[in-house]
Amino acid sequence: MSQILRREAVYAFTGIITILMILEYFFWPTPQIWADTIRTWAIIVFNISLGLGAIRLLMQQSMNVQKRRENWQYSAMLLSLFVVMLLTGFAGYFATGLQTSNGIYDWLFINIYTPLGATLYPITGFYIFSAAYRAFRARNVDAALMLIAGCFVMLKNAPVGEAIWIGFATIGNWFQFTGQIPGMRTFSIVGAFGLMAYGFRALLGKERGFYAGGE
Amino acid sequence: MSALSKLANVDSRVFYWILFIALMVPFLSPIGFPITIAENTRDLYEGITDDEVEEGDVWIMNFGYGVSAWPECHPSVTVCTKALFREGAKIIFMGPHYDVELTYNKIHDTVRDDFVDKVYGEDYVFLGYITGGESAIAQLASNIRSVYPVDHFGTPLDELSMMQGVNTHEDIAGVLSSDTGDYGVHFMTQWQAAYGSKLAEIGIAMNGSTDLPRWQAGNYFGLSIGSRGGAELEILIGELGEATTAMDSISVSHLLLIFAVILGNIGMVVQRRSS
Repeated sequence: MSQILRREAVYAFTGIITILMILEYFFWPTPQIWADTIRTWAIIVFNISLGLGAIRLLMQQSMNVQKRRENWQYSAMLLSLFVVMLLTGFAGYFATGLQTSNGIYDWLFINIYTPLGATLYPITGFYIFSAAYRAFRARNVDAALMLIAGCFVMLKNAPVGEAIWIGFATIGNWFQFTGQIPGMRTFSIVGAFGLMAYGFRALLGKERGFYAGGE
Repeated sequence: MSALSKLANVDSRVFYWILFIALMVPFLSPIGFPITIAENTRDLYEGITDDEVEEGDVWIMNFGYGVSAWPECHPSVTVCTKALFREGAKIIFMGPHYDVELTYNKIHDTVRDDFVDKVYGEDYVFLGYITGGESAIAQLASNIRSVYPVDHFGTPLDELSMMQGVNTHEDIAGVLSSDTGDYGVHFMTQWQAAYGSKLAEIGIAMNGSTDLPRWQAGNYFGLSIGSRGGAELEILIGELGEATTAMDSISVSHLLLIFAVILGNIGMVVQRRSS
Protein backbone atom coordinates (compact mmCIF):
# COMPACT_ATOMS: atom_id res chain seq x y z
CA MET A 1 0.00 0.00 0.00
CA SER A 2 2.74 2.43 0.98
CA GLN A 3 4.53 1.66 -2.28
CA ILE A 4 1.37 2.48 -4.25
CA LEU A 5 0.89 5.72 -2.35
CA ARG A 6 4.52 6.60 -2.70
CA ARG A 7 4.88 5.98 -6.42
CA GLU A 8 1.78 5.18 -8.44
CA ALA A 9 -0.46 7.70 -6.68
CA VAL A 10 2.13 10.43 -7.21
CA TYR A 11 2.49 9.51 -10.90
CA ALA A 12 -1.26 9.46 -11.41
CA PHE A 13 -1.86 12.68 -9.53
CA THR A 14 0.90 14.54 -11.41
CA GLY A 15 -0.32 13.18 -14.74
CA ILE A 16 -3.97 14.11 -14.20
CA ILE A 17 -3.15 17.64 -13.03
CA THR A 18 -0.76 18.16 -15.94
CA ILE A 19 -3.29 17.04 -18.53
CA LEU A 20 -6.04 19.19 -16.99
CA MET A 21 -3.87 22.29 -16.98
CA ILE A 22 -2.69 21.71 -20.56
CA LEU A 23 -6.30 21.34 -21.67
CA GLU A 24 -7.35 24.51 -19.90
CA TYR A 25 -4.44 26.53 -21.31
CA PHE A 26 -4.87 25.46 -24.91
CA PHE A 27 -8.57 24.69 -25.34
CA TRP A 28 -10.48 27.23 -23.25
CA PRO A 29 -10.34 30.91 -24.16
CA THR A 30 -11.21 31.95 -20.61
CA PRO A 31 -9.95 30.65 -17.27
CA GLN A 32 -11.98 27.80 -15.77
CA ILE A 33 -13.11 27.61 -12.14
CA TRP A 34 -11.66 24.13 -11.62
CA ALA A 35 -8.32 25.29 -13.00
CA ASP A 36 -8.47 28.31 -10.67
CA THR A 37 -8.89 25.91 -7.77
CA ILE A 38 -5.89 23.84 -8.85
CA ARG A 39 -3.73 26.95 -9.25
CA THR A 40 -4.80 28.20 -5.83
CA TRP A 41 -3.73 24.86 -4.37
CA ALA A 42 -0.41 25.15 -6.18
CA ILE A 43 0.12 28.55 -4.54
CA ILE A 44 -0.76 27.10 -1.14
CA VAL A 45 1.68 24.22 -1.62
CA PHE A 46 4.32 26.70 -2.77
CA ASN A 47 3.84 28.70 0.43
CA ILE A 48 4.04 25.58 2.55
CA SER A 49 7.32 24.76 0.82
CA LEU A 50 8.68 28.16 1.89
CA GLY A 51 7.90 27.28 5.50
CA LEU A 52 9.47 23.86 5.09
CA GLY A 53 12.53 25.48 3.56
CA ALA A 54 12.88 27.77 6.56
CA ILE A 55 12.57 24.83 8.98
CA ARG A 56 15.11 22.80 7.00
CA LEU A 57 17.50 25.76 6.95
CA LEU A 58 17.22 26.18 10.72
CA MET A 59 17.80 22.45 11.29
CA GLN A 60 20.87 22.41 9.06
CA GLN A 61 22.40 25.54 10.59
CA SER A 62 21.65 24.34 14.14
CA MET A 63 23.49 21.10 13.38
CA ASN A 64 26.47 23.11 12.10
CA VAL A 65 26.61 25.00 15.39
CA GLN A 66 26.05 21.92 17.56
CA LYS A 67 28.80 19.91 15.86
CA ARG A 68 31.14 22.91 15.49
CA ARG A 69 31.52 22.25 11.78
CA GLU A 70 33.71 24.45 9.60
CA ASN A 71 32.53 28.10 9.60
CA TRP A 72 29.93 27.31 12.29
CA GLN A 73 30.16 30.96 13.36
CA TYR A 74 28.27 31.99 10.23
CA SER A 75 25.53 29.52 11.08
CA ALA A 76 25.32 30.99 14.58
CA MET A 77 25.04 34.46 13.08
CA LEU A 78 22.28 33.32 10.74
CA LEU A 79 20.32 31.78 13.61
CA SER A 80 20.67 34.87 15.78
CA LEU A 81 19.57 37.21 13.00
CA PHE A 82 16.70 34.89 12.14
CA VAL A 83 15.46 35.15 15.72
CA VAL A 84 15.91 38.94 15.78
CA MET A 85 13.97 39.47 12.54
CA LEU A 86 11.28 37.01 13.61
CA LEU A 87 10.78 38.67 16.98
CA THR A 88 10.81 42.23 15.62
CA GLY A 89 8.41 41.16 12.90
CA PHE A 90 6.02 39.63 15.43
CA ALA A 91 6.39 42.62 17.74
CA GLY A 92 5.37 44.91 14.89
CA TYR A 93 2.47 42.70 13.98
CA PHE A 94 1.06 42.57 17.50
CA ALA A 95 1.60 46.30 18.01
CA THR A 96 0.24 47.62 14.71
CA GLY A 97 -1.51 44.73 12.97
CA LEU A 98 1.00 45.05 10.12
CA GLN A 99 3.99 42.78 9.64
CA THR A 100 6.68 45.27 8.80
CA SER A 101 5.67 48.58 10.29
CA ASN A 102 7.57 48.80 13.51
CA GLY A 103 10.62 50.96 14.12
CA ILE A 104 13.17 48.28 14.93
CA TYR A 105 12.26 46.08 11.98
CA ASP A 106 12.35 49.08 9.63
CA TRP A 107 15.63 50.28 11.11
CA LEU A 108 17.26 46.90 10.59
CA PHE A 109 16.03 46.74 7.03
CA ILE A 110 16.83 50.29 6.00
CA ASN A 111 20.17 50.67 7.78
CA ILE A 112 21.64 47.19 7.55
CA TYR A 113 19.95 45.12 4.89
CA THR A 114 19.50 47.83 2.24
CA PRO A 115 23.13 49.09 2.23
CA LEU A 116 24.44 45.51 2.31
CA GLY A 117 22.16 44.50 -0.55
CA ALA A 118 23.08 47.58 -2.56
CA THR A 119 26.78 46.90 -2.01
CA LEU A 120 26.71 43.20 -2.79
CA TYR A 121 25.92 43.49 -6.49
CA PRO A 122 28.38 46.26 -7.41
CA ILE A 123 31.19 44.38 -5.64
CA THR A 124 30.79 41.60 -8.20
CA GLY A 125 31.86 44.16 -10.81
CA PHE A 126 35.36 44.10 -9.31
CA TYR A 127 35.50 40.32 -9.47
CA ILE A 128 34.19 40.30 -13.03
CA PHE A 129 36.89 42.81 -13.96
CA SER A 130 39.63 40.65 -12.50
CA ALA A 131 38.16 37.43 -13.91
CA ALA A 132 37.78 38.92 -17.40
CA TYR A 133 41.40 40.07 -17.35
CA ARG A 134 42.54 36.53 -16.57
CA ALA A 135 40.09 34.61 -18.75
CA PHE A 136 39.90 36.74 -21.90
CA ARG A 137 43.08 35.49 -23.50
CA ALA A 138 43.34 34.89 -27.24
CA ARG A 139 44.88 31.44 -26.86
CA ASN A 140 43.40 30.22 -30.13
CA VAL A 141 41.32 31.52 -33.05
CA ASP A 142 37.96 30.78 -31.35
CA ALA A 143 38.97 32.63 -28.19
CA ALA A 144 40.29 35.54 -30.26
CA LEU A 145 37.00 35.83 -32.15
CA MET A 146 35.00 35.76 -28.92
CA LEU A 147 37.30 38.37 -27.44
CA ILE A 148 36.92 40.72 -30.40
CA ALA A 149 33.13 40.32 -30.48
CA GLY A 150 32.94 40.89 -26.71
CA CYS A 151 34.98 44.09 -26.96
CA PHE A 152 32.77 45.46 -29.73
CA VAL A 153 29.58 44.69 -27.79
CA MET A 154 31.03 46.31 -24.65
CA LEU A 155 31.98 49.42 -26.62
CA LYS A 156 28.51 49.46 -28.13
CA ASN A 157 26.87 49.28 -24.69
CA ALA A 158 29.04 51.97 -23.13
CA PRO A 159 28.35 55.48 -24.44
CA VAL A 160 32.09 56.12 -24.68
CA GLY A 161 32.30 53.62 -27.57
CA GLU A 162 30.16 55.77 -29.83
CA ALA A 163 31.99 58.87 -28.66
CA ILE A 164 35.29 57.35 -29.85
CA TRP A 165 33.97 55.99 -33.13
CA ILE A 166 30.37 55.60 -34.31
CA GLY A 167 31.36 52.36 -36.04
CA PHE A 168 31.67 50.60 -32.67
CA ALA A 169 27.88 50.83 -32.26
CA THR A 170 27.23 49.57 -35.79
CA ILE A 171 29.59 46.62 -35.43
CA GLY A 172 28.42 45.89 -31.87
CA ASN A 173 24.80 45.88 -33.05
CA TRP A 174 25.72 43.52 -35.86
CA PHE A 175 27.32 41.12 -33.38
CA GLN A 176 24.30 41.35 -31.09
CA PHE A 177 21.40 41.28 -33.55
CA THR A 178 22.86 39.16 -36.34
CA GLY A 179 25.23 37.01 -34.36
CA GLN A 180 23.79 36.53 -30.92
CA ILE A 181 19.99 36.78 -31.11
CA PRO A 182 19.55 33.91 -33.61
CA GLY A 183 21.71 31.80 -31.30
CA MET A 184 19.59 32.71 -28.29
CA ARG A 185 16.40 31.93 -30.22
CA THR A 186 17.76 28.54 -31.19
CA PHE A 187 18.79 27.94 -27.62
CA SER A 188 15.30 28.92 -26.34
CA ILE A 189 13.47 26.75 -28.87
CA VAL A 190 15.69 23.74 -28.24
CA GLY A 191 15.31 24.30 -24.49
CA ALA A 192 11.51 24.37 -24.88
CA PHE A 193 11.57 21.10 -26.79
CA GLY A 194 13.78 19.63 -24.09
CA LEU A 195 11.29 20.77 -21.46
CA MET A 196 8.44 19.14 -23.38
CA ALA A 197 10.43 15.91 -23.64
CA TYR A 198 11.11 16.06 -19.92
CA GLY A 199 7.41 16.61 -19.26
CA PHE A 200 6.42 13.59 -21.33
CA ARG A 201 9.04 11.43 -19.65
CA ALA A 202 7.77 12.57 -16.26
CA LEU A 203 4.19 11.74 -17.28
CA LEU A 204 5.26 8.29 -18.41
CA GLY A 205 7.06 7.72 -15.12
CA LYS A 206 10.49 7.59 -16.72
CA GLU A 207 11.79 10.75 -15.12
CA ARG A 208 11.80 10.13 -11.41
CA GLY A 209 14.12 12.81 -10.09
CA PHE A 210 11.31 14.94 -8.68
CA TYR A 211 9.53 12.03 -6.97
CA ALA A 212 10.53 11.19 -3.42
CA GLY A 213 13.93 9.55 -3.36
CA GLY A 214 14.21 9.50 -7.13
CA GLU A 215 14.29 5.72 -7.23
CA MET B 1 61.02 37.99 -17.14
CA SER B 2 60.58 41.25 -19.05
CA ALA B 3 58.30 44.03 -17.88
CA LEU B 4 55.89 43.33 -20.71
CA SER B 5 55.52 39.66 -19.82
CA LYS B 6 54.57 40.64 -16.27
CA LEU B 7 51.44 42.21 -17.71
CA ALA B 8 49.99 38.72 -18.02
CA ASN B 9 49.91 38.26 -14.25
CA VAL B 10 49.02 41.53 -12.60
CA ASP B 11 47.71 41.15 -9.06
CA SER B 12 43.90 41.51 -8.82
CA ARG B 13 44.26 44.08 -6.06
CA VAL B 14 46.01 46.44 -8.46
CA PHE B 15 42.98 46.34 -10.73
CA TYR B 16 40.60 46.78 -7.81
CA TRP B 17 42.35 50.00 -6.81
CA ILE B 18 42.60 51.31 -10.37
CA LEU B 19 38.90 50.59 -10.94
CA PHE B 20 37.91 52.10 -7.61
CA ILE B 21 39.80 55.33 -8.31
CA ALA B 22 38.68 55.51 -11.94
CA LEU B 23 35.03 55.07 -10.97
CA MET B 24 35.32 58.02 -8.59
CA VAL B 25 36.20 60.43 -11.40
CA PRO B 26 32.86 60.57 -13.24
CA PHE B 27 30.95 60.91 -9.97
CA LEU B 28 33.12 63.86 -8.91
CA SER B 29 33.21 65.41 -12.35
CA PRO B 30 30.55 64.04 -14.77
CA ILE B 31 31.78 63.60 -18.33
CA GLY B 32 28.42 63.31 -20.11
CA PHE B 33 29.04 61.13 -23.13
CA PRO B 34 26.17 61.30 -25.63
CA ILE B 35 23.70 58.40 -25.36
CA THR B 36 21.78 57.12 -28.36
CA ILE B 37 18.35 55.57 -27.85
CA ALA B 38 17.96 51.87 -28.66
CA GLU B 39 14.88 50.84 -30.62
CA ASN B 40 13.67 48.49 -27.87
CA THR B 41 13.79 51.31 -25.30
CA ARG B 42 11.98 53.70 -27.63
CA ASP B 43 9.27 51.07 -28.17
CA LEU B 44 8.82 50.79 -24.41
CA TYR B 45 8.50 54.54 -23.95
CA GLU B 46 6.14 54.98 -26.88
CA GLY B 47 4.04 52.08 -25.61
CA ILE B 48 3.30 53.86 -22.33
CA THR B 49 2.76 57.37 -23.61
CA ASP B 50 0.42 59.36 -25.86
CA ASP B 51 -2.28 57.37 -27.62
CA GLU B 52 -1.14 54.06 -26.17
CA VAL B 53 -2.47 54.92 -22.72
CA GLU B 54 -5.93 56.22 -21.95
CA GLU B 55 -6.89 58.07 -18.82
CA GLY B 56 -8.13 55.61 -16.21
CA ASP B 57 -6.34 52.60 -17.69
CA VAL B 58 -5.12 50.22 -15.01
CA TRP B 59 -1.52 49.00 -15.37
CA ILE B 60 0.44 46.51 -13.30
CA MET B 61 3.95 47.41 -12.20
CA ASN B 62 5.67 44.23 -11.11
CA PHE B 63 8.66 44.64 -8.78
CA GLY B 64 10.61 41.44 -9.30
CA TYR B 65 13.94 42.85 -8.20
CA GLY B 66 15.61 43.47 -4.90
CA VAL B 67 17.80 46.15 -3.43
CA SER B 68 20.90 44.76 -5.13
CA ALA B 69 19.36 45.41 -8.58
CA TRP B 70 18.12 48.92 -7.81
CA PRO B 71 20.90 50.58 -9.86
CA GLU B 72 19.91 48.55 -12.91
CA CYS B 73 16.12 48.39 -12.75
CA HIS B 74 14.92 51.29 -10.68
CA PRO B 75 15.73 54.19 -13.04
CA SER B 76 13.59 52.60 -15.77
CA VAL B 77 10.79 51.84 -13.31
CA THR B 78 10.92 55.43 -12.11
CA VAL B 79 10.54 56.83 -15.63
CA CYS B 80 7.75 54.38 -16.52
CA THR B 81 5.82 55.23 -13.35
CA LYS B 82 6.14 58.94 -14.09
CA ALA B 83 5.04 58.43 -17.70
CA LEU B 84 2.00 56.34 -16.74
CA PHE B 85 0.89 58.75 -14.02
CA ARG B 86 1.25 61.69 -16.40
CA GLU B 87 -0.97 59.93 -18.92
CA GLY B 88 -3.64 59.54 -16.26
CA ALA B 89 -3.20 55.80 -15.83
CA LYS B 90 -3.78 54.01 -12.53
CA ILE B 91 -1.09 51.66 -11.27
CA ILE B 92 -1.16 48.43 -9.29
CA PHE B 93 2.22 47.95 -7.60
CA MET B 94 3.06 44.40 -6.59
CA GLY B 95 6.00 42.05 -6.64
CA PRO B 96 7.34 38.54 -6.16
CA HIS B 97 10.58 39.71 -4.53
CA TYR B 98 10.80 39.90 -0.75
CA ASP B 99 12.23 43.42 -1.09
CA VAL B 100 8.99 44.59 -2.69
CA GLU B 101 8.07 46.88 0.21
CA LEU B 102 11.48 48.57 0.13
CA THR B 103 11.16 49.07 -3.61
CA TYR B 104 7.65 50.47 -3.20
CA ASN B 105 8.97 52.97 -0.63
CA LYS B 106 11.80 53.80 -3.00
CA ILE B 107 9.44 54.54 -5.87
CA HIS B 108 7.58 56.94 -3.58
CA ASP B 109 10.88 58.70 -3.09
CA THR B 110 12.06 58.77 -6.72
CA VAL B 111 8.66 59.72 -8.16
CA ARG B 112 7.82 62.02 -5.25
CA ASP B 113 6.48 64.94 -7.31
CA ASP B 114 4.11 62.76 -9.33
CA PHE B 115 2.66 61.10 -6.23
CA VAL B 116 1.67 64.47 -4.72
CA ASP B 117 -1.68 64.74 -6.46
CA LYS B 118 -2.35 60.99 -6.52
CA VAL B 119 -4.59 59.35 -3.97
CA TYR B 120 -3.97 55.86 -2.61
CA GLY B 121 -6.81 53.55 -3.54
CA GLU B 122 -8.03 55.84 -6.31
CA ASP B 123 -4.96 56.33 -8.49
CA TYR B 124 -2.66 53.58 -7.28
CA VAL B 125 -2.61 50.61 -4.94
CA PHE B 126 0.10 48.48 -3.43
CA LEU B 127 -0.84 44.82 -3.27
CA GLY B 128 2.49 43.72 -1.77
CA TYR B 129 4.41 40.49 -1.87
CA ILE B 130 3.25 37.53 -3.92
CA THR B 131 4.48 33.96 -3.69
CA GLY B 132 3.62 30.96 -5.80
CA GLY B 133 5.82 31.44 -8.83
CA GLU B 134 4.27 30.98 -12.25
CA SER B 135 1.05 29.53 -10.78
CA ALA B 136 0.43 32.77 -8.92
CA ILE B 137 1.01 34.86 -12.04
CA ALA B 138 -1.40 32.61 -13.96
CA GLN B 139 -3.95 32.91 -11.20
CA LEU B 140 -3.64 36.70 -11.18
CA ALA B 141 -4.77 36.68 -14.82
CA SER B 142 -8.00 34.90 -13.96
CA ASN B 143 -8.81 36.16 -10.46
CA ILE B 144 -6.73 38.83 -8.77
CA ARG B 145 -8.76 38.58 -5.56
CA SER B 146 -7.96 34.92 -5.10
CA VAL B 147 -4.27 35.84 -4.87
CA TYR B 148 -4.68 39.21 -3.16
CA PRO B 149 -7.91 39.33 -1.13
CA VAL B 150 -6.48 42.42 0.61
CA ASP B 151 -3.81 44.96 -0.27
CA HIS B 152 -0.47 45.23 1.53
CA PHE B 153 -2.05 47.28 4.31
CA GLY B 154 -4.86 44.81 4.95
CA THR B 155 -7.64 46.69 3.15
CA PRO B 156 -10.00 44.41 1.18
CA LEU B 157 -9.68 45.13 -2.55
CA ASP B 158 -13.41 45.80 -2.83
CA GLU B 159 -12.99 48.77 -0.49
CA LEU B 160 -10.47 50.40 -2.83
CA SER B 161 -12.30 52.45 -5.44
CA MET B 162 -9.64 51.88 -8.09
CA MET B 163 -10.05 48.11 -7.79
CA GLN B 164 -13.83 48.15 -8.31
CA GLY B 165 -14.44 45.96 -11.34
CA VAL B 166 -10.77 45.10 -11.72
CA ASN B 167 -10.23 41.38 -11.25
CA THR B 168 -8.87 39.70 -14.38
CA HIS B 169 -6.43 40.25 -17.23
CA GLU B 170 -9.27 41.85 -19.20
CA ASP B 171 -9.37 44.74 -16.75
CA ILE B 172 -5.65 45.41 -17.01
CA ALA B 173 -4.41 47.63 -19.85
CA GLY B 174 -0.81 46.50 -19.61
CA VAL B 175 1.91 44.97 -17.49
CA LEU B 176 5.40 46.30 -16.89
CA SER B 177 7.50 43.57 -15.33
CA SER B 178 10.80 44.61 -13.86
CA ASP B 179 12.79 41.67 -12.65
CA THR B 180 16.12 39.96 -12.39
CA GLY B 181 14.81 36.52 -13.17
CA ASP B 182 11.87 34.67 -14.61
CA TYR B 183 8.85 36.80 -13.80
CA GLY B 184 8.84 38.60 -17.15
CA VAL B 185 8.71 35.16 -18.76
CA HIS B 186 5.90 34.07 -16.41
CA PHE B 187 3.86 37.11 -17.46
CA MET B 188 4.74 36.34 -21.07
CA THR B 189 3.48 32.75 -20.90
CA GLN B 190 0.48 33.33 -18.65
CA TRP B 191 -0.68 36.78 -19.81
CA GLN B 192 0.79 37.82 -23.15
CA ALA B 193 0.79 34.45 -24.91
CA ALA B 194 -2.41 33.21 -23.32
CA TYR B 195 -4.59 36.34 -23.59
CA GLY B 196 -2.60 38.79 -25.72
CA SER B 197 -2.01 41.17 -22.81
CA LYS B 198 0.26 44.10 -23.42
CA LEU B 199 3.58 43.39 -21.73
CA ALA B 200 6.97 45.07 -21.48
CA GLU B 201 10.10 44.05 -19.65
CA ILE B 202 12.54 46.09 -17.60
CA GLY B 203 15.45 43.77 -17.00
CA ILE B 204 19.05 43.71 -15.90
CA ALA B 205 21.84 43.95 -18.45
CA MET B 206 22.80 40.31 -17.92
CA ASN B 207 19.36 39.20 -19.14
CA GLY B 208 19.45 41.45 -22.21
CA SER B 209 20.53 38.62 -24.49
CA THR B 210 17.57 36.46 -23.51
CA ASP B 211 15.07 39.33 -23.49
CA LEU B 212 15.94 40.82 -26.89
CA PRO B 213 14.57 37.90 -28.94
CA ARG B 214 11.27 38.18 -27.04
CA TRP B 215 11.04 41.88 -27.87
CA GLN B 216 11.90 41.15 -31.52
CA ALA B 217 9.24 38.44 -31.62
CA GLY B 218 6.65 40.88 -30.25
CA ASN B 219 6.11 39.20 -26.90
CA TYR B 220 7.34 42.36 -25.22
CA PHE B 221 6.12 45.58 -26.80
CA GLY B 222 9.20 47.26 -25.35
CA LEU B 223 12.31 46.43 -23.40
CA SER B 224 14.66 48.35 -21.18
CA ILE B 225 18.03 46.72 -20.55
CA GLY B 226 19.91 47.61 -17.40
CA SER B 227 20.97 51.07 -16.37
CA ARG B 228 21.71 51.92 -20.01
CA GLY B 229 18.00 51.42 -20.73
CA GLY B 230 17.22 53.59 -17.71
CA ALA B 231 19.47 56.37 -19.02
CA GLU B 232 17.80 56.19 -22.42
CA LEU B 233 14.35 56.44 -20.80
CA GLU B 234 15.52 59.41 -18.72
CA ILE B 235 16.52 61.15 -21.94
CA LEU B 236 13.19 60.30 -23.55
CA ILE B 237 11.16 61.74 -20.69
CA GLY B 238 13.53 64.69 -20.46
CA GLU B 239 14.52 64.28 -16.82
CA LEU B 240 18.06 63.06 -16.29
CA GLY B 241 18.67 61.02 -13.16
CA GLU B 242 20.66 58.24 -11.52
CA ALA B 243 21.08 56.13 -14.65
CA THR B 244 22.48 58.96 -16.72
CA THR B 245 25.03 59.63 -13.98
CA ALA B 246 25.93 55.95 -13.90
CA MET B 247 26.56 55.88 -17.65
CA ASP B 248 29.87 57.70 -17.24
CA SER B 249 31.02 55.09 -14.74
CA ILE B 250 29.96 52.35 -17.13
CA SER B 251 31.98 54.00 -19.89
CA VAL B 252 35.05 54.27 -17.68
CA SER B 253 34.80 50.71 -16.35
CA HIS B 254 34.21 49.21 -19.82
CA LEU B 255 37.15 51.09 -21.28
CA LEU B 256 39.39 50.04 -18.42
CA LEU B 257 38.30 46.44 -18.81
CA ILE B 258 39.15 46.43 -22.51
CA PHE B 259 42.48 48.08 -21.71
CA ALA B 260 43.22 45.42 -19.07
CA VAL B 261 42.31 42.60 -21.45
CA ILE B 262 44.62 44.04 -24.12
CA LEU B 263 47.44 44.33 -21.59
CA GLY B 264 46.89 40.75 -20.45
CA ASN B 265 47.04 39.51 -24.02
CA ILE B 266 50.20 41.46 -24.77
CA GLY B 267 51.76 39.93 -21.67
CA MET B 268 50.69 36.46 -22.76
CA VAL B 269 52.17 36.86 -26.27
CA VAL B 270 55.48 38.16 -24.89
CA GLN B 271 55.63 35.31 -22.38
CA ARG B 272 55.03 32.74 -25.12
CA ARG B 273 57.72 34.19 -27.36
CA SER B 274 60.29 34.34 -24.61
CA SER B 275 59.64 30.77 -23.55
